[in-house]
Amino acid sequence: MKLRENRLERRLQVSGILLILGLLSESLCLLWARPLSFLGLVSVGGVLLFAGMVVYLVSLLAIRVSPQETAGRSLQRD
Amino acid sequence: MRFETTLIMALLLFSVTLIGVIVARPEITVTRSGKIMAFLALFLLPILCAAMGVSSELERSKTTKFCLSCHIMEAYGQSLRVDDPSYLAAAHFQNHRVPADNACYTCHTNYAMFGSVKAKMAGLRHIYVYYLTTPPAPENIKLHEAYNNRECLHCHLGARSFEEGAVHNADPDLLQAVKANKLSCISSGCHEVVHKVATLNAVKMWKGQP
Repeated sequence: MKLRENRLERRLQVSGILLILGLLSESLCLLWARPLSFLGLVSVGGVLLFAGMVVYLVSLLAIRVSPQETAGRSLQRD
Repeated sequence: MRFETTLIMALLLFSVTLIGVIVARPEITVTRSGKIMAFLALFLLPILCAAMGVSSELERSKTTKFCLSCHIMEAYGQSLRVDDPSYLAAAHFQNHRVPADNACYTCHTNYAMFGSVKAKMAGLRHIYVYYLTTPPAPENIKLHEAYNNRECLHCHLGARSFEEGAVHNADPDLLQAVKANKLSCISSGCHEVVHKVATLNAVKMWKGQP
């Protein structure tokens, strides 16, 4: 699978991959009932999930409307 | 597998599938429904999964099976099966004075404010000692601090056998001293035999199921 050229779509893909890895590590920790599994859940799973969500939120914040699009919108309003 | 774990695994599988769709086809997020799906899959569901996972792990860490999963605790697990009512832990476990599934936690948690948090922090210290240092022999394991009667009184306070027991009332000051934590329940001459793992080989074991 290739990452997309479009920056937003690429960020969504990176976010998704991080989240999938985090969720898979969480599922492994839940199946492995040992004292270390909780540490694994928090340290590995938690960090991956947090990173994935941050990348997703950053991708939302980073959406910028292009100057042409802004001009088009203001013309429509006029 | 516990029902709770099965439920979380199903939610994890559902989340991974939804996220997989977005990773494979990120262009679907152009539409309004795609944006909602992305918010659900990339933000809300992971938070829900993480919260449920942590909650499940914390609940599981209270179980007797979890505590005894460390090799060093095996002797303490055996001490719950001693066929002698003078063994305090065994008498509580075998007679369901504590829930058999949460036996260790019920007596060794702290019933004061933030007690559960303190118990978890102590658990983390156990992991550190177990994996990163040379742990003591089972018979040399000591409590972090003197056992507080508060943990016993959490259940026994107000109970008839405790309040009106002949031995407890033999000395008029005894009950007050116990309730004020000035005289320990497990002090010498009282309920002093708790686990006593050093002599487990010499005692008879109960074969029944708790």
